[in-house]
Formats: sequence, structure tokens, C-alpha cells
Amino acid sequence: MKIRTIKYIVKEGFLNTYRNKLMSLASVSIVTATLLIFGIFFAIILNLNYNIKAFQEQPELEAFCYTELNDEEINQVKEMLMNNDKIESVQMVTRKEAFEKLKEMLDNREEMLEGYSENIMPVSFIINIKDTSRTPELVEEIKGIFGIESVRYSQRVIDIMNRINSWVKWISTAFVALLTGISVFIISNTIRLTVFARRKEINIMKYIGATDWFIRWPFVVEGVIIGIAGAVLAFILLCYGYSSIESNFHSDVTRLSINFISIAALRDIASKVFGLLLLIGSSVGCLGSMISVRKHLRV
Amino acid sequence: MVEFRNVMKRYPNGTVALRDINLKIRKGEFVFVIGPSGSGKSTLIKLIMKEEDPTEGEVIVNGYNISTLPRNKIPYLRRSLGIVFQDFRLLQHKTVYENVAFAMQIVEATPKEIRRQVPMALALVGLSKKADVYPDQLSGGEQQRVALARALVNNPSLLIADEPTGNLDPEISLEIMKLLSEINQRGTTVIVATHEKSIVDAMKKRVVALDRGQIVRDQEKGIYGDEDKDNKIYS
Ligand SMILES: Nc1ncnc2c1ncn2[C@@H]1O[C@H](COP(=O)(O)OP(=O)(O)OP(=O)(O)O)[C@@H](O)[C@H]1O
Ligand SMILES: [Mg+2]
Repeated sequence: MKIRTIKYIVKEGFLNTYRNKLMSLASVSIVTATLLIFGIFFAIILNLNYNIKAFQEQPELEAFCYTELNDEEINQVKEMLMNNDKIESVQMVTRKEAFEKLKEMLDNREEMLEGYSENIMPVSFIINIKDTSRTPELVEEIKGIFGIESVRYSQRVIDIMNRINSWVKWISTAFVALLTGISVFIISNTIRLTVFARRKEINIMKYIGATDWFIRWPFVVEGVIIGIAGAVLAFILLCYGYSSIESNFHSDVTRLSINFISIAALRDIASKVFGLLLLIGSSVGCLGSMISVRKHLRV
Repeated sequence: MVEFRNVMKRYPNGTVALRDINLKIRKGEFVFVIGPSGSGKSTLIKLIMKEEDPTEGEVIVNGYNISTLPRNKIPYLRRSLGIVFQDFRLLQHKTVYENVAFAMQIVEATPKEIRRQVPMALALVGLSKKADVYPDQLSGGEQQRVALARALVNNPSLLIADEPTGNLDPEISLEIMKLLSEINQRGTTVIVATHEKSIVDAMKKRVVALDRGQIVRDQEKGIYGDEDKDNKIYS
């Protein structure tokens, strides 16, 4: 196919979309709705994975002592841990180290810690387990040690999040499949109207020797334009919503519980989301027009 | 160029529109296909451009066998033909020039070729001055000349026309027919289906007469003739 033919096809595609404004607009809205819902689910999944990854980077087990414990009591706890035969190795995190870590996490909100010293932080032990299948058992044992306030057992959180993740995936797949079906149907209807409006021209083109695809391509382009327009709109709406959630999240969550669940930064996921929306939008548009063109353009 | 061998055409509803058609049209000929309404003229033309397929027999056009030609080759058959219809079939939102140029765009001609060929085709049909006018601002005769220019612009070897003057006044009809004859003199084979007696009689071309789907007369330098007589002899 020659460049000038491609130019012609793209131009005709835009003209078709424009001439069929009302239906084009309706189709764009349904694609936008579909992709918006898809985008929301996708953002949730991305964030779950982001958190799972963050937890995976953390040690499997971390046992926190009571803040009030003195050095001798801490040493006793350490002894107990080191003598446990389910434990491979133990690494102590001092109050100072914990304080530094907290500072780092608070990032530019360090002023929140002004007036406090490292003494507010507990000593903790990072524990490597010999056999991970016995972790729950070990967690109970450690909790029983005098001086241990809590045990963070990230695997359990990871398990829960993985379960949520797979549920979200199932639900979103079902939802998105349904909405995609509807979008394809609506787009193919829109294209059908264009085909109908231009049947005289199509007929003329047939008799002067236009190939099937020369006649069909502009309609496919029309479908893809609708799909891409929907994707762009959905992306703008998503960005708007996400960034407002993002800013609220930071101010609330840090107040409630530091270092539990965090939210992925918009700029980190934006390109991934946009790419996917574009891909789905244009595929849906392409598919919708192909169906219509095959059915109503017996050239 | 065009050959019909024992062709029979039956439409899905059972109507037999053509039967026992044997016809050979050579390169450079000018042929009128005549006959009363419903005699099968349009069907014959439709077989040539593969709008319909023969039920039995073979139709060969420019080396293409109509019955076996795959769908995706149809455009190439049609590019070797110029086709003119009774109702002109121009694109209303394109100017005269654009209508003619469009036929070249479709076959992916270069802009240079288009700029050279389109004015030539318009000059041939005498419409150079109307290049930038839209079809609805033209008379019927002028519109048909635009359709002719479009049919000719890709230099087809065969021009087929189904009642090209059916919507036009007698004088204008004669003008269009003369134009077709001129095109024929430049080497293009021309097949015209018509039932305009006076024109056929005036032009003295080969006449193929159809009646109820059969060829009842095939005459060089023929005249429209007396239908009653034809019917008596052959039916
Ligand atoms: N698509 C069709 N389906 C069924 N029958 C058809 C179809 N087209 C034409 N016919 C029939 O075939 C016969 C020949 O029709 P055709 O159109 O070829 O005649 P014609 O000579 O062109 O007539 P006219 O001078 O009125 O244009 C007629 O009896 C017509 O009713
Ligand atoms: Mg007819």
C-alpha cells in the first residue's frame, strides 16, 4: 500500500467519524466508561502487587521488643532466639537504626519527629527461618518469649494480599470482558450506520475497481479513532482521580500507621496504564469495525 | 475480448433471464445490445462486470473467466473495464475534477499521473470548463459526460454502458452516443445496452437483439428493426 493511499484512508476515517458525530460520541463514552473501570481495577491490582513486593523485600519475620526493655533484658531475648533450633540466624536492629529508618521513611516530613529521640523506638530482631513451612508455629513460640511485644509476619500479609489480588483479578476480568463486549457491539453499530450512510459511495467505488480493503480501511480507522479517543479520555479521568486519592492517602495513612500499606506514585504507573488503555481501546475499536465491515460490506 | 459460450442465467427466484447465449465481441468493436424491456440486456451487462455469475456456460472478459474469478480479483477485472450507468452514479460531495480523479486514486495512480490524465479525460468529453463544479449543478447530459470521463480516465480496453442515455433528451442522447463512437474510434471496445430506436438506426453499428433472454438477431451495421417481425421469426 502506498503512502498516499494510507493518507487517503486516514483522512476518510476522520471524515467518517466527524460526519457521524452523534454516534461516534456515544461510542466514545461507552469505551471511556469501559476503560475507566478497567483502569480502576488495573490500578488496584498494580497497587496490590506494589505492596506485595514491598512486603517481600522486608524480612520474613521481625520480632519487636517492648520499648521499655533494658539492655540486659534485650540480651536475654536475643539468647532465647539464638537457641531456637527453627531459627537460622538473628540480626539485631538497634534503637538508633530503627529511628534512622523511620526518618528515612518519613522522607520530607521529618519535622514530625522533632523533639523525639531514638528512645521512642523499640529494639527488634530480624529472623531468618530454617524451614518456612513451620513459620506460623515459630511465630507463636516467639510471641511467647518474655519481652517480645509483637511479631511482624509479612508472609501472612502477603498471603492475604495475594488472595485479594486474585479475587480482584477475577472480578475485573469478568467486568471488563462484559464491558468490552458491549463496547465492541456499540462500535460495530456505529460503523454500521456509517456504512449505511455511505452505501451509494461504496457501491460506486466497487464499480470503479476499488479493492475490498481500500473500501474497508477507512471504517476500521473510524473504529480505532473511537477506541483511542475513549482511551485518552479514560486516562485523563483516571489520572485526575488517582492523584487526588494519592494526596489524601499520604496525609491520612502516615498519621494512622506508618509503614503498612502504601500507594504507588502516579508517575510510576501512568505510562503502564496509558499504554494498556490505548492498546485495549484501539483493539476494541478495530474489532468492532471489523465485525461491522465484514457483515455489512459485502463488496 | 468478450465471449459468451452457451450461457444461461437463472436468478434465484427462478426467472431465466438469458439462455443459449453465444456471442463474441472482438477488440475495437462497437456493439449495441437491444431488446424490449425484460429481454435480458442488463443481465448480459451484469455478467460482463461480474455483478452476476452465469448459471451455465462461460463468460470470458479481457481474459478473465467470470465464473471462476475469485472475489478478491474482481476489482482488477473492473479496472480493465469502464462502466457507465443510466443514473450516472457520481459522488455528490466531490467536484467534477475530483470525481474523475477518484477513479485514479483508487488504482493508486501517482499525483503526477492524475494531474495529467484527468484534464485529458475532461477535455475529451468537453467539460474542461466545469472541472470545479459539483454534480448537482450540472445538466443530466453533462453528468453523464463526467461519468464517461471517469470511466475512461484509466484507459480501459472495454467500455460497457447500460442505458447510458435512458435519462436524457433525444438530442443529448445522440451527443453522448457520438461521444461513445468517438471513444470507440480511439481503440476502445464499446458495448451499449439501449432501447433507443432512433439512435441505433442512425449509428449503423453492430446490433445484437435480445428477446426473452435469447439472441434473436446479430447484425453488422444493423438497425433497431421491427420487433414484431423478430418475434415472429424466432418465437
Ligand atoms: N435480481 C433479479 N432477480 C430476479 N429476477 C431478475 C433480477 N434482475 C432481473 N430479473 C429478471 O430477469 C429478466 C431480464 O431482466 P433485465 O434487467 O436483464 O432486462 P432488461 O432487458 O435490462 O430490461 P429493461 O429494458 O427494462 O432494463 C426480467 O424478467 C427480470 O424480471
Ligand atoms: Mg435494463
